[in-house]
Amino acid sequence: MAELQAAAPATPRRSKFALGDFLREYGVLIIIVILMIGLTFLSPSFLTSRNLLNILNQSAPLALIAAALTLVIISGGFDLSTGAIFGVASVSAAWLAVNVDPTLGMIAGPLLGLLLGLVNGLIITGFNVHSFLATLASSMVYRGIAVLITGGALIPVRMEEFAWLGRGRVGMVNIAVLILLVFTVAMMVLLNRTTFGRRVIAVGGNEEAAILSGVRTKLVRIACFGLTGFAAGLAGIIAVSRISMGQPQAGVGMELEAIAAVILGGTSIYGGAGAVWRSIAGVLLLALIGNGFNILNVNPFFKDLTTGVIIVAAVALSAGKKRR
Amino acid sequence: MKLRLALLTSVAFAGVATTAPAMAQDPFRIAYLASSSQNGYNQAIYAGIQEAAAAKGVEVEIFDGAFDSTKQFSQVEDVVAGGRFDAFIVTPNDTVGIAPALEDATAAGITVVATLFPVGPDLTNMEPQVPGLTTTVAANPAVGARAQAEAVAAYCADKDPCRVAVIIGQLIYPFDNLRNETFKEVLGQHPNIQIVATGEGNYDPDASLTAMQDILQANPEIDAVLSNADQHLIGAEIALSDFGYDPGSVYMIGGGLNQITVDAIRAGTVAATLTEVPHSMGKAALEAAVTTLEGGTAPTWIDPFDLSVTPVIVTKEWLDANPDFTAEWQG
Repeated sequence: MAELQAAAPATPRRSKFALGDFLREYGVLIIIVILMIGLTFLSPSFLTSRNLLNILNQSAPLALIAAALTLVIISGGFDLSTGAIFGVASVSAAWLAVNVDPTLGMIAGPLLGLLLGLVNGLIITGFNVHSFLATLASSMVYRGIAVLITGGALIPVRMEEFAWLGRGRVGMVNIAVLILLVFTVAMMVLLNRTTFGRRVIAVGGNEEAAILSGVRTKLVRIACFGLTGFAAGLAGIIAVSRISMGQPQAGVGMELEAIAAVILGGTSIYGGAGAVWRSIAGVLLLALIGNGFNILNVNPFFKDLTTGVIIVAAVALSAGKKRR
Repeated sequence: MKLRLALLTSVAFAGVATTAPAMAQDPFRIAYLASSSQNGYNQAIYAGIQEAAAAKGVEVEIFDGAFDSTKQFSQVEDVVAGGRFDAFIVTPNDTVGIAPALEDATAAGITVVATLFPVGPDLTNMEPQVPGLTTTVAANPAVGARAQAEAVAAYCADKDPCRVAVIIGQLIYPFDNLRNETFKEVLGQHPNIQIVATGEGNYDPDASLTAMQDILQANPEIDAVLSNADQHLIGAEIALSDFGYDPGSVYMIGGGLNQITVDAIRAGTVAATLTEVPHSMGKAALEAAVTTLEGGTAPTWIDPFDLSVTPVIVTKEWLDANPDFTAEWQG
């Protein structure tokens, strides 16, 4: 009896802890659910399969980048060049599609992204430059290349062989959404079920300890940047295929949106902790806000204000997890 | 020996310095302060400037404002301080904020010509609002917007209701706000016309595609799309096609007259666009600057619509009658 009495206070403490932990883990999902309920009541057009699939399709390029960027941020890095890689990959793909072959353009986009991502990783690890500065600089170089390729003009690519990726569907679902699904699962498996994933977390958690444990931290970081570059290139060809148009300014500001989505999903900006699925949820949250504004035809002046408030609310819910 | 050489060098430099101003045959040097040198529209303006400069024997350089008003303000200050240029041609990023820097430039004796937008607080006033500003080569944004809205009203004349979706650049830009207000004012005079939604396209086909998809979700029946920019129609057209509309069954009107839209109008997928002639604007701006530098009097306002062979609103009918027409910029 005495044992039971002594044990009794432990129960409410555990449930309080569990609630806090739940809120921190699922804060972004909670906000998404609240928003979805609100939008469902406000507009009959919102909760339709077509609209929900549209949101997923519209978000696919950003979500691809955010999924891979999660690994970079968990490894303790930052990538400000994803928008520029997106731009240069999309115009390169468009240029190749028009001037050489549409399929070659499709293949070249992600490969070019991979190459540029690896270059980022090599600069960061080879010259020991902080990833923030290195990718800020490389983003300027990559954006410059995009402008040089196009001369600042748009490149129309009105070809069926090129448009299928961005506009094609399997049943009701866009191919871009299926690619996002496969890529997200791949990133989740890579992070949570492989030795590489454990090393990514170890490098971001404590690089020195990782080195002492025999982890080749430079290779891990280079690989993370390579993956993000690949994702940005893949996102680029999906976007350029969708609008049948290469544009040098494509992806401007996308790098910050991707970072915002990852942080919104609760991944620590200090590295060492995070989850790919929550970054995707972060992207969807941002997309839902935009969708809601367009569907309800609300004055766009309120969009930034609302987005900011919702981001603060979501981050506040998951704040405890990020304090280190 | 070293001292003597130094003295000789000094004398030689002094000689050059004193004779330099007397070299009347030195070409004028003119800076083009682009809102962004990486933008196709600005590049077309610069191409016009370069063409006129070559004809006049004038040297020109382009400066990249990177769509950043603060950066452009600093560029004006730097170029004034550098003292290398006799004149500026500016495509302002911030039509109000850049004014003090340009006032300093004109006070320093530099000839300043504005293109695309007037500089000063009133976007509808084409006369110089900055003391010393020579010429403005720009159209009142409300004039073009009114012409576009009237074209939509004409299309809608026999439809009741006539449902119009507006895709505007960004309402935080004063010129886009003015255009949007003009759209609302003109269309508001027709009871049969409903503006069912207003989306922001941010001059980006992808953003316009997203906006149009969302608009169609809430408003499946659309009769017309009215936009200030041709780039928006690229995304709008894709969204309409994906939604099941036949290309050309919705009246779509944009702005900019780029070659991509000219091709789309000829193909029947876009109905019309507002004339813009960046190459001619650049040419006229340089000629006005040189006229002033040579002591002549350039017009205070040059209306780009007067520089164009096209009507204010370009339609398939006009393009069919002018099959050899090509736009002044690609897009």
